[in-house]
Amino acid sequence: MIFLTDRPPQLETPIHYFRQDLTPNEAFFVRWHLEGIPTSVDLRTFRLNVSGHVRQPLQLSVDDLRSQFEPISIIAVNQCSGNSRSFFEPRVPGGQWKDGAVGNAKWTGVSVKSILDRAQVKSGAMDVSFNGLDAPPLASVADFVKALSIDHARDGEVMIAYAMNDQALPMVNGFPLRLVVPGWYGTYWVKALSDITVLPQAFSNFWTDKAYRIPKGPNGTESPKDLAKETVPINRFNVRSIFVRPDPDETLHPGMPTEMEGIAFDSGYGIRRVEVSTDAGATWADARLDTELGKYSWRRWRASWTPKQRGEYRLMARATNSVGETQSKAQWNRSGFMWNVIQQVDVTVK
Amino acid sequence: MRNKTTRAVISIGLAAFFVGCGTVLNNTGESQPETSAPVQSMSGSPNGDSVHSIVLPHDEPLFPPGAGRDEFVTACVVCHSPRYITMQPQFPRSTWLSEVNKMKDVYGAHISDEQAQRITDYLVSINGKADSGQAPKGTYGE
Repeated sequence: MIFLTDRPPQLETPIHYFRQDLTPNEAFFVRWHLEGIPTSVDLRTFRLNVSGHVRQPLQLSVDDLRSQFEPISIIAVNQCSGNSRSFFEPRVPGGQWKDGAVGNAKWTGVSVKSILDRAQVKSGAMDVSFNGLDAPPLASVADFVKALSIDHARDGEVMIAYAMNDQALPMVNGFPLRLVVPGWYGTYWVKALSDITVLPQAFSNFWTDKAYRIPKGPNGTESPKDLAKETVPINRFNVRSIFVRPDPDETLHPGMPTEMEGIAFDSGYGIRRVEVSTDAGATWADARLDTELGKYSWRRWRASWTPKQRGEYRLMARATNSVGETQSKAQWNRSGFMWNVIQQVDVTVK
Repeated sequence: MRNKTTRAVISIGLAAFFVGCGTVLNNTGESQPETSAPVQSMSGSPNGDSVHSIVLPHDEPLFPPGAGRDEFVTACVVCHSPRYITMQPQFPRSTWLSEVNKMKDVYGAHISDEQAQRITDYLVSINGKADSGQAPKGTYGE
């Protein structure tokens, strides 16, 4: 892992792991907000509490979740809002991620809908908030709590995962339970989930009112000289693709066939096309797409290239989804969120 | 090198480690320290052992002496690793002041305006650059 910070931990996945369709648990990126992260959980006493605007509050053990609810599995990308932040110019403060604050995993657990149905949500519910075991270091620091609209929470896809790639979640990835919000940025994927609260009014706290907001305009973009007046909470992924080969330091030779490969994903409409360029965007050709692993999974693309002459080449890849959303040519916002500028990989053929 | 580090930790597979060995080349060719992810006990099924625990070792850099260092260590490191400073690029004073004021005004760091200025001076001295006039201010939730 690439080590960004230790307390609280932020760990980035090296790109070569993305040559696998499912990111290994031990290499999956880690990002916590508050110093007090859980380092020990006793499953005999741990309970998921469901309360608020419901008729039947619940306290569920992990065994209850496993034994009393129908399990569902989904392969879904989780990506940090600030993935690739270090590429924004001018630079912005925050976790200085490159492209590795993202991963793709098979999540198994129960739908939030089935939990809320058991709890019997009262009429007039508006939002559902999700809190985890992590705790602020000072009383003045807001606890990290996120919320979804009641309709989103009950869409049958938002789920509580007790397994990640068929294993228990690593502690640093949210053991024993993690909220999975397919197609939405990682800030909503609350780790060590312990409390679900149904609210008859809109949820409000620092982490949604002030933090994790994007300019209201297209693709969360604004100008450093003219910051957007209106912002909205960050939400679903935009479209992006990431090269996994060749490496920039790989030696290529004239006449030697070279396989280019990468991953592409969006918020769930589905990747329909990836084009690659080996001449800095002057010409483009369609890449081959691997079989779709699910609409929230990333999709692998491949393209063959035989460089004819020695020299410097700029490789680029551009993904498009089924509703025509594609990648940015340029992008900036004050928080360094939602980077999806078409990637450039410079290689030398010699 | 990269695979080896992770495999080694899986095979140990008992506690959490940050192993600061090796480097990894990223997309831009810059060198980054590589570490193994902390991993928890994977002994048996998730229904096996009831108590799951990890240890998170700290790996915090030493900071050079300088005006404001004491305030920095006292007020900032109580809530987060100084790596939150060292991982940033060089920012102009206005950006660092904005970050320090965010800690004070938004997160409630126990510092006075005067201490905030001295901490900012220190941050600029160790990881700053001249003001460009268009420095991005910090925001929340990074």
